[in-house]
Amino acid sequence: MTRIPLSLIINGQTHEVLAEPHRTLLDVLRTDLGLVGTKENCLEAECGVCTVLVEGAAVNACILLAAQCQGRAIVTIEGLAAPGQLHPLQQAFIDHGAVQCGYCIPGMLLAAKAYLDESPEPNENGVREALAGNLCRCTGYQRIIEAVLSAARVLRASPTPASPETAS
Amino acid sequence: MFFNYYEPTSLREAIELGARFGGDGRFLAGGTDLMVQIHRGRLDPRHVISLQRVPGLEAIEADGTISIGARVTHRRLERAPDFQGALRGLIEGAEVVGGHQVRNVATVGGNIVNASPAADVVVVLLALDARLTCLGPAGERTLALDGFATAPGATALGPDELLSRASFPRLAPRSATAFLKAGRRRAMEISIVCAAARLTLDADLERCRDVRVALGAVGPTVMRARAAERYLEGRPLTDGALRDAGQIAAAECRPIGDVRASARYRALLVATLVPRVLARCLERVRLQSS
Repeated sequence: MTRIPLSLIINGQTHEVLAEPHRTLLDVLRTDLGLVGTKENCLEAECGVCTVLVEGAAVNACILLAAQCQGRAIVTIEGLAAPGQLHPLQQAFIDHGAVQCGYCIPGMLLAAKAYLDESPEPNENGVREALAGNLCRCTGYQRIIEAVLSAARVLRASPTPASPETAS
Repeated sequence: MFFNYYEPTSLREAIELGARFGGDGRFLAGGTDLMVQIHRGRLDPRHVISLQRVPGLEAIEADGTISIGARVTHRRLERAPDFQGALRGLIEGAEVVGGHQVRNVATVGGNIVNASPAADVVVVLLALDARLTCLGPAGERTLALDGFATAPGATALGPDELLSRASFPRLAPRSATAFLKAGRRRAMEISIVCAAARLTLDADLERCRDVRVALGAVGPTVMRARAAERYLEGRPLTDGALRDAGQIAAAECRPIGDVRASARYRALLVATLVPRVLARCLERVRLQSS
């Protein structure tokens, strides 16, 4: 099978990979680049665990071909905050006990990030709607929603300068 | 599962590739259906032709005839300033599809070509008398959306043709649209039944001048409730008339029973949703005209 050269801008860094055209972004992130923070589950755009940001928009990496991402800026959970630091969303998830098994959390965080970037003053319904494409089978969502609302308050109070990884 | 991938950069190039590969090729827009079908092994194209770098498929034009490019995403549709008023039904149809991740990529053109009988936005476009522009090696042809889908997943589009846009006439004065959907949960749910209406009132704001009632998930394709439309035309739109229209629509739809709902329940939902969606249109026309 012919492989095609791809140039993917992931978390601010350009990665050159050779990939077969049928392979998804999710597969290339996890298998070729070792970025296993992006999770794999339904492979049908139903559960949201593979959510990444492409040009700032939340998308399901499981149904996106890596080839479609040629030259595009992608943010994965590894790039949400600078190494060793936590994004206010991550801190809020910890503070609110929003994480149980953790499998859905990378996707939740990135979907929440995309939402707060465009709606810095959210209400509860808005958050619920923004996370409708992310399934969690542990927490019942309440604490996740509280964490996102709380992170929004933190971000409004002291907007963190966009890290190079997340600036797009 | 293995395919070659192409990224044409013009409509002409896309059509040439489509014509070259015929039934072995598939156009890729948002991929929310195509990629799932490929993963499930239901489709196995040899060639995937991405439309993402083809210009001219992304515009929403609203001067005179309204036109929606095939690659307009659901997310753009739901935010389109041109659809905030009388065309709000389009926003209502778009905003209930999937979650943000799906709506960020899923396109109007993909929704039409995919020919799901439960396609929410397509039901609204049907109520708007949409026409489809299809491009192929032999040139351009325009097809009515009504009748375009011939069976679940099957359309009148040739294997070498590309859907470029859906267009519909600007609404007459005293018109409005609305969309309603019934599902088991509010988000990420395929419609059990969905209904859209486009209503134009007489100058008295009582009588129906012209109406379309479109239904999803109650037949092999999205469908118009023509008998209900005929019943309503020229009639004063009392609550009783709306209820009757719902009963007529319930009698003319052809639902199946499946994992989501029984056929009988779907018909009951039609009898409920049709009067509601018409009442919503009525309220909107009167609000605009007051």
